[in-house]
Amino acid sequence: MYTKAQKRTRLGLAATAILGMAALTACGADGGGGGEEADGVANLTMTVWGGDNDKKTYQDRIDLLEAAHPEIKVDLQLIPGDQYDQKVQTMIAGGDGPDIMQVAEGVNVYSSKNQLLPLDELVAEADLDLEGRFGPVGTLYSYEDKVYAIPDRSGAMIVYYNKDLFDAAGLEYPNADWTWEDAQAAMEKITNPADGVWGYGGAGWWAQWWSFAYQNGGQIIDDAGKPAANSPEVVEALQWANDLTHKHHVVPTAEEYADMGPDMGGDPAFAAGRLGMNTTGFWAIGGLLEADFNWDIAPMWGGEEQAVSAFGSGLAISRDSENPDAAFTAIDFLTDVEAQGLIIENAQDVPANIEVQKSDAFLKPTWAGTTEINMAAFGESSDFVFTSPLIPEWTEMQAAFSDNLGTFWNEGGDAKTQLDVIQAKLESVVE
Amino acid sequence: MTADTGEVLGAVRATSPHRAEDAPTRRTPLRPRLTRRGRIEAGYFWLFISPWLIGFVGFLLGPMISSVYISLTEWDSFTDPVFVGLDNYTEALTGDPVFWKALWNTFFYAAVSVPVGLAIGVWLANLLNKKVRGRKFFRTLIYLPTLVPLVATAMVFKMVLAPSGPLNDLLGLFGVDGPNWLLDPTWVKPGLIVLSTWGAGAATVLLLSAMNGIPREFYEAAEIDGAGPIRQFWSITFPMITPIIFFNLIMGLIGAFQIFSQVYILTDGGPDNASLTVVPLLFREAFGFYHLGYASAVAWLLFVVIIGFTILAFRTARGWVFYETEVR
Repeated sequence: MYTKAQKRTRLGLAATAILGMAALTACGADGGGGGEEADGVANLTMTVWGGDNDKKTYQDRIDLLEAAHPEIKVDLQLIPGDQYDQKVQTMIAGGDGPDIMQVAEGVNVYSSKNQLLPLDELVAEADLDLEGRFGPVGTLYSYEDKVYAIPDRSGAMIVYYNKDLFDAAGLEYPNADWTWEDAQAAMEKITNPADGVWGYGGAGWWAQWWSFAYQNGGQIIDDAGKPAANSPEVVEALQWANDLTHKHHVVPTAEEYADMGPDMGGDPAFAAGRLGMNTTGFWAIGGLLEADFNWDIAPMWGGEEQAVSAFGSGLAISRDSENPDAAFTAIDFLTDVEAQGLIIENAQDVPANIEVQKSDAFLKPTWAGTTEINMAAFGESSDFVFTSPLIPEWTEMQAAFSDNLGTFWNEGGDAKTQLDVIQAKLESVVE
Repeated sequence: MTADTGEVLGAVRATSPHRAEDAPTRRTPLRPRLTRRGRIEAGYFWLFISPWLIGFVGFLLGPMISSVYISLTEWDSFTDPVFVGLDNYTEALTGDPVFWKALWNTFFYAAVSVPVGLAIGVWLANLLNKKVRGRKFFRTLIYLPTLVPLVATAMVFKMVLAPSGPLNDLLGLFGVDGPNWLLDPTWVKPGLIVLSTWGAGAATVLLLSAMNGIPREFYEAAEIDGAGPIRQFWSITFPMITPIIFFNLIMGLIGAFQIFSQVYILTDGGPDNASLTVVPLLFREAFGFYHLGYASAVAWLLFVVIIGFTILAFRTARGWVFYETEVR
């Protein structure tokens, strides 16, 4: 069962893999493998994460690309999400980084270490209007005023609500004009612990309670790039998010979630019809099409101001790419209307392309069948999406929060105390 | 595993001062000349050992040496490493409270799970050693959990350790109000230890075969002398199986210090790092935060700790491990 020294050498193995890869790449370069071949066909590798549907959707889009641009061939590599960073890290360290690479919140880990190609010149050459094509998220993946990735998928967090529970309680449906008070009042009316029904799924995930913080006028990292996690606005928002569970008890506690089953949380509990509202991304829609209750989606409610987080991913070109021009042509095509249409056709995600988001194909997707879904909620939300602080130390920042909020979320506590600790940690982590 | 048994037992013998084969070894000439046949045989030796040798040098020794160097640098795996001397070690030992917390968590886990696992293993083996009906069936049953993939086990234990899960229901029968195992910083380590006892069957099988190897005459003689079952266990069974207990202790210690998957799957180190052990910490530093230098330093510190405890175990072994073949 225990292999001696197995774990200890994990790092060593990674190092060897890196060395080995470096050797292989060197051979590859001599042999003319990869890059441009004699007949003028550019062979590109592209790494993405996800599951079966993601693979199918990316491949469909690549097929479209290859049909339109016979001079480009793309080799798609799908890596399971939990291994993506490690794998791409190893590839890049070995000098064999992918030409096109899917990136998300961690983009500036790579850009700050000079591993991605700044795209501004290529964007200008291709006459691509980022704001025009993608709206406010156009330059989301920037670092020190340079763009490093082109948005590909981008959807705001939205409110899923259980229509049946709202109707039974005689409440109006959630909407963007709601304030914290409205939301809390609705949660309180719906909550009925005896039936195992709660008003809301909780806001323990950064995307959720950060939305509250920005709604309250707070910022996690301020405009000057300094941590501001213990400002009164952030404290108030975090305390409210926590009080919903431990003071008002309109959200199941961690204990109650654990009793519902393994890996239980807002998304599966909502799908089981036990929550009035849940805030999450587009991905929950697919599973809910089969649900035996009525539901719909709405834009996030607001606080002092409107703000909501958005998730998505962009496509970047790695420093190692031997053919950045072809890679950019590919990215340009993949993020244009035709290829982006497939993202919604396969019910994969929200396409970043604004024109597609406004098209009938998106607003009345064929796979929804007879289910009426307020798909316009995504477009409506995009007006007030806040810009996440995509600092190079993103994962360390997330760890600072999760290391100090575990007991706070599980058992309740004082937001100020925890955020003071986190702020001190962030100040040592963020340069 | 069997090969490892021999390795550890052999090592014990090697450190023992009463080695029987010492005398003849010394008398042989230092380097006998090889005959033609001897040379051919030596050639075959190198031929057949080479896959292991290449693997060892390429995949174990090489990376280990390079990780010593990496541990002296600050390296994010992308840009060139910067040599920083012993900074990573001083940072871990003096500047990083998370490292000490992880080390303490690991100590706690090892100090409790290893003895508990051994006690359960010995107890189960002793039960199975009795002439009971369906012995083979029970033996299979007890070994079965070791064959279940860890990920599946962890998923099941998420349910077992749930606040209103089966374990707390069981405790409720005795009037005990069970804790929120995985959600409570105080109880998350005991929760992981509960999971570790699930694998006690692996030790049981080895211990059982050792018990089967004890000659019947010992017990017969003891019975004639009037020794009861408890006296028989402590005076015959236990001393006779100490080598196997010792083997399980060493392997258990190493395994416990390197605990990774259970933590990674069940808690990811939470809540508030209460279950973060050293290997998950170094994994997070290396592949989450891109601090490969620091992570390598942590790996070497863990290596020192494990080696220290293993040496300690070997030292004390002379006092309690009994080898039948050795005259004392």
